[in-house]
Amino acid sequence: MTREHKAANLALDRMVAAGARDASAQAATSRKSEFSVEGGRFTLLRTTLDHSLALQAIKDQRRGTVSGNSFDQEAVIAAAGDCVASAEAGQPDPAWEMAREGQGEFVSGAVEADLDKLFERTKELLDSIRREYPKVILEQVITQHTTHNTVYLNSHGVRYQTTQGSYGVSVMFSGHEDEKSSSFNYTGFSTASLDRPFLEMGGLRQNLEDAQNQIHTRQTEGKFEGTVIFTPDCLDGMLGELIGNFATDSVLLDGTSLWKDALGTRVADERLTISFKPSDPRIVNGERYTGEGFLSEDYDLIERGVLKQFMISAYGANKTGKKRAPNSSFSMIVEPGTTALEDIIKNTKKGLLVSRYSGGAAGTGGEFSGVAKNSFLIEDGKVGPAVSETMISGNLAGMLKHIAGISRETVEDGNCSLPWLAVNGITISGK
Amino acid sequence: MIPDIVSSLRGSFAPGAHSELRAQRSLSRRVVLLSGNLVGNTRSDSQGVSARVYRNGVYGFASAADLSEAAARKALETASSNAEFLDSRVKPGKGPLPDIPTGSLPPQADFNDVEQKRYLDFALSLDEYIKEKYPGLASRTVVATSDSMEKQILSSDGYAAHTLAPRSYVYVILNAVTEAGMPVEVFQPFGGLGGFDTVFTDPARLHGEIDKLHDHLMKKREGVFAQAGMKTCILSGLLSGILAHEAVGHTVEADLVLGGSVAGPNMNKMVASPLVSMTDFAHTAFGEKAPLPVYVDDEGVLAEDAELIRNGKLVGYMVNRELGRHFNMRPQGNARAFGFNDEPLIRMRNTAIHPGISKLSDMISQTEDGYYLINTNNGQADTTGEFMFGVTIGYEIKNGRLGRAIFDTTISGVAFEMLKTVDMVSDTVTWASSGFCGKKQPMTVGMGGPELRCQVIIGGK
Repeated sequence: MTREHKAANLALDRMVAAGARDASAQAATSRKSEFSVEGGRFTLLRTTLDHSLALQAIKDQRRGTVSGNSFDQEAVIAAAGDCVASAEAGQPDPAWEMAREGQGEFVSGAVEADLDKLFERTKELLDSIRREYPKVILEQVITQHTTHNTVYLNSHGVRYQTTQGSYGVSVMFSGHEDEKSSSFNYTGFSTASLDRPFLEMGGLRQNLEDAQNQIHTRQTEGKFEGTVIFTPDCLDGMLGELIGNFATDSVLLDGTSLWKDALGTRVADERLTISFKPSDPRIVNGERYTGEGFLSEDYDLIERGVLKQFMISAYGANKTGKKRAPNSSFSMIVEPGTTALEDIIKNTKKGLLVSRYSGGAAGTGGEFSGVAKNSFLIEDGKVGPAVSETMISGNLAGMLKHIAGISRETVEDGNCSLPWLAVNGITISGK
Repeated sequence: MIPDIVSSLRGSFAPGAHSELRAQRSLSRRVVLLSGNLVGNTRSDSQGVSARVYRNGVYGFASAADLSEAAARKALETASSNAEFLDSRVKPGKGPLPDIPTGSLPPQADFNDVEQKRYLDFALSLDEYIKEKYPGLASRTVVATSDSMEKQILSSDGYAAHTLAPRSYVYVILNAVTEAGMPVEVFQPFGGLGGFDTVFTDPARLHGEIDKLHDHLMKKREGVFAQAGMKTCILSGLLSGILAHEAVGHTVEADLVLGGSVAGPNMNKMVASPLVSMTDFAHTAFGEKAPLPVYVDDEGVLAEDAELIRNGKLVGYMVNRELGRHFNMRPQGNARAFGFNDEPLIRMRNTAIHPGISKLSDMISQTEDGYYLINTNNGQADTTGEFMFGVTIGYEIKNGRLGRAIFDTTISGVAFEMLKTVDMVSDTVTWASSGFCGKKQPMTVGMGGPELRCQVIIGGK
C-alpha cells in the first residue's frame, strides 16, 4: 500500500467512524524541479517535495472540509477529527452530494523528469531569444517538471489513483529600445515532451515578435466604436471572466447570472462552440475525476451559439435544479472558424488587435472596461502601430452575440485550444 | 508554536556558501455564507521546512512537507547540490554576498487558533442582521476568514528569528438590481492584524459599517455611468494605496528594475508632484504599528523602512541581498517567502503615500467637475507604470458637491505621469491589508495612503 493510500484510508476510516455518512479523502504527493531565470540569467534551481491531504465530511447534511500536508498518523487523525467537527458546526443542507460510483487508475504525461534536458531546453530558449529577439528583455522565465501521485477514496467505495507528470514553461518579457519599453507580457504552456524547442510551443514566438513591435506606441485619441480581435492568450482570460459571471455556482446560487434562465437558448453567435474537454489529446494531464468524486467527461458549454450546460457542481445542481457539469476543469476548447486571421484583419475597418486585457472584474451585469495592453491599432484592414493608454469597454454577454469572425488558426498551450476571436461594437477610448 | 528544529543545524551550513533554513506553518480558516447558504467551511494547515544555499551567484533551494530536524538536514543537502548543479553549468563566477548585521530577535507571541464554530457563528450573526434589516437585496455574501504565517528563520549570517503574523477579516458583499434589471454590487472588508477572537469581539460592532455599505448600494442602484475620458478625480486612501503598491511599488522592486521597469532610468528624477512622498514601511508607519509589520525577512535581514519617493523624486528601490549588491543599496528586509516551499522574493510590506495637509471636504468643495472614487475591487499595473484599477463605489462631483453614484468603472493612467498631476493631498491615511499580492507566489501586504486629487482616465460611456 502506498503512503497516499495509507493516509487516505486512515482519514476516511476515522471520518466514517465519527459519524460522517458521506466522506472523502484525497492524499497526494508531488515532486517539483524548477529553474528560475531573472533578467535573462539563471538564478535558482528549486526542488520541492510536497504532500497534500484534502478531506470532506458530510454529517447530518452538514459539510466540512479540511486540508493539510502531513501524512503523520497523528496529524491525519487530527485532520479527520477537525473535518467532522467543522461539519458538525455547520448548517444542514440536503444539497451536498458526493459520487456513489467510480473507479479508475490513470497514468499520463511525463512521469519521470529529465532535469539535464530541461536545463538544456531552457538555456536554448534564452540563447534563441537573445539571438532572434535582441530587443526583448526576459523579466522572468520559470521552467519546471512536476509529478503528482494522487489517491481519492470516498465512503461509497469510489476509488481513483492518478500518476501525472508534465513540464511547464512560463515567460514574462517586454521589448526595450534605449529608455523606451513595451508593456510587459507573459505566456506559458504545459507539455509532456521535451522533443521540441520551447520557442516553437504555445504562442511564445508571436508574443516575442509583438513585444519588439510594441516599444513605440501611439496614444488613441477620442472615443469610437470598433472591432476588437482578441488573441488566444487574451481570449482565455476574457472567456474565463464571462463564464465566471454567467455560468458558475456562485452566480446561479445567488441568482445574479444573466443566463440563469437561458439554458437551451441562443446566447452567442451560431459560429461559437465552447467545450471543456479534459480527455482531448491536446490537453496535457486533463482532469480524471471531479472534486465531488465523479468521473470527468467532456461537455459543450455553448454549442453553435446555444447554451447547453452550466459549469456547476453537484451541489450547485441540487440547489438550482439544473444539471451538474460533467467535469470541473477549465480545459477549454473553442472550435476554430473557417476564416484565416489575415482575412479577419483585412475585413476590419477600425479596431484593435488585443493581446492582453488589464481590467477590473466585470460587474454582475457583465459590463467590463479596462486597458488594452500589448495591442495594435487596426485601420482599413491593416495592422498599424501599437497603442498605449487605450481603454476598451463593452458587455461580456453582448460580446458573444456580435462576433465578427473566428480564426481557423488556433494556439494550443496544453491547457486550452483557442482561436483568435473578433468582436464588433466595443467602445475604444483614449485621452 | 512550531518547534525550533533549525537552531541546532547552524553547524551544518557548508563553508563558503551562504545558507538559510526556514521551518514554517501556515494556517487558513474560512467560512462563506452565500445568501444564507454555507457554501464554504474550510480549514487548511500547511507546514514544512526549506533551505536555500547561495553559491557564486546562483541559488539552490529545497523543501519537504515535514517539520523535523532530519527533513531540515536533508533539505540543506539537496539545496547545496542544486546550487552546485547550477553553478557548474552556468558558472556565474560571482563572489560571496556582502555581510549583514547578525543577531537574534525574541520570539513573537502565540495567538488563539479558534474553532470553526466561532467563524460560523460570527458570519451567521451578520448574515441574519443583513437579511432582517435589508430584505430587498438580490443577494448577500458574508465571509469570515483568517490566516497566519509562523516561521523559524536561521541563516549562516544575518538574524535568527521566530515570526508569527496572524490576520483576520470579514468580507461583506451586497447585491441589488437596478430598475432596468442591471445587477449592482458593493463589497467591503473589515479586520486586520491578529487572531479572529481579538479582531472580532462582537458582530454588532460591524452593523454601522454594514449600514453605510448598504447606503452606497442603494445610491449605486440609482447610479449613472461615468463619462469616459480624462477627468479630475479624488482618489480615496484605498485607491491611492493600491496605486502606491501596484503602479509604483512593483516598478521599484529591484528584480523588476533589472527586468526593464520604468524605474530603471528614473532614479533621482522627479516622478511625481512635490506633494508626493512614498515609503515601504517595515513595521511602524506614521508613529503607529503598520497593518502587517515585518521585523526580519527570510534572508535574515533586519527590517527597516525603504524610502522610495521623497517630495516627488525617486530615491530608492526595494532589494534583496543579492540585488542590493548589484544596485549598491542596503538590503532592508524585503525578501519574503509565502509558503514553506517558496523561495524568498523581493516583496513589499506596508507601502504608503504620505499624508499631506488638505482636508477631504476642501478637496471636494474645490472641485468643479469630477469624481470622488472610494472603493476598488482590484488593480493591475505594468512595469511601465501603466495601471488599471476597478472602481466599485464612486460619486460624481458637480460644483464642489458630491452628486450621483456611478456604476462600476475603471481608472487608468501611467503612474509617473499621473502622480505629477496631484495638486491636493489629504491629511488622513487609510490602510488596506486584507488581500494578497501576486508575484509568482501570493504575499500578505499592507497598502495605504491619503486622498489624492489628480487627473486620471476614467472608463464609462
